[in-house]
Amino acid sequence: MNNLFKKKHELWLHINFASFAISDEEIKARLYDFSQIAFRHMKWIAKDVLENNENYNYDRDIMLYKSTSVFEIIKKLQEVTLETMKLYPDDVLGNRVKTDDEYLLEYLNQIIKNSENDKEITSFNMKREWLDKNLAQEQIDALTLFLFEESYKEYELILVYAYMQARTKDLTQFDVFQDLIDESHFHLKSFGNMMAKMGILALPRELHELTYVIKDLEQFVKDGIAEEEAAKEMCKELSDAIKDEELSKFFDFINYQESYHIELMQKLLK
Amino acid sequence: MTQDELKDVKLPEGMNPETLSHLMEPRNYGKLEEANGVGVALDEKTKEYVIFYTLFDGNMIKKAMYATNGCQDTVVIGSMFTDMISNNDLNYANDAIRRMNEKLGTMSDQQQVCADLVFRSYKASMQNFENVKNGADEELHLYKMEDSCEGANNEQLI
Repeated sequence: MNNLFKKKHELWLHINFASFAISDEEIKARLYDFSQIAFRHMKWIAKDVLENNENYNYDRDIMLYKSTSVFEIIKKLQEVTLETMKLYPDDVLGNRVKTDDEYLLEYLNQIIKNSENDKEITSFNMKREWLDKNLAQEQIDALTLFLFEESYKEYELILVYAYMQARTKDLTQFDVFQDLIDESHFHLKSFGNMMAKMGILALPRELHELTYVIKDLEQFVKDGIAEEEAAKEMCKELSDAIKDEELSKFFDFINYQESYHIELMQKLLK
Repeated sequence: MTQDELKDVKLPEGMNPETLSHLMEPRNYGKLEEANGVGVALDEKTKEYVIFYTLFDGNMIKKAMYATNGCQDTVVIGSMFTDMISNNDLNYANDAIRRMNEKLGTMSDQQQVCADLVFRSYKASMQNFENVKNGADEELHLYKMEDSCEGANNEQLI
């Protein structure tokens, strides 16, 4: 299996979850942009691997680096980026990926130059507090469970759809998969930032190949529609349970997005 | 965990720090490359599965790992169960299942279905070990579940 793809997958997660962990809005936004670039690298590397009649999988060896200091997380990110860069080939794609990561390193250096950026990180303290909300314990419990369930599900959907997108020759399928991937990125970002805010940021579990090697697309889509219905129901239940107008509106908004996912998935059945 | 401690076997009742810890970092999660028993339990209705990897050594379970696309109850029970049975013998594992089932009997149907997925996948790994030992060419052993998570009482374990 392709090691470059595996390491790029891990780097995407490192950047993505560093952006969730850090509360400074500017650093968070910039790192998230870099994580999206890293995800596109994954997509291009996957295409390259398949064109060379090789294969890749979603195995990974990654521990989320947990620290209470922004600088420690940034330094770890520098280290992982430098390690990954050693694997880039000397070709057009390899050079593009390398120059992107060189600029990421430059940005990480800029962060470290300013000592005011070294703020405390509370994303892993397990306190399960939402400081600007007055949520009862049962609401916090429901929200905690929802965030663990759905952050895994969104990660799973991103990877499963990307796996199928890389293998389809059908333009409609390609478009639908892209829309679903984009939507799931947004959901993962929303839920990841909420988990960090509550001090329970954690990596989603690794995907087993039984989950993403799809042999029957039609059955997969039908099952996926049933899952979207279940996700809608979870959002609705959570929206009803959380007695906070702002959060309830957010979950209603996610719920409506799930409804449209079902419409998108129906296109795959035509 | 000793036999005595099994009497007070813990289950993820409520969102306590231990449950949260299993949620944030499930133990023994992923593939066990050197496993000599691999089993899958599949809920055909929801397509939720648990794949269980066991390394048997005589009467001992040297190591157990699992993976699932299931809900968080399944994740937490799998994490706790693999932790309990690794480096213990087969009798201990059966006793662990019995004790966990006794506790689960007081909880919801959905929790029981989640636990069954984990326990049946472990049993499937034992079956796979036996089948291969008897000359079968079997990559893994599959059990299809009669009860489905769908339609079960939706109150969750954690």
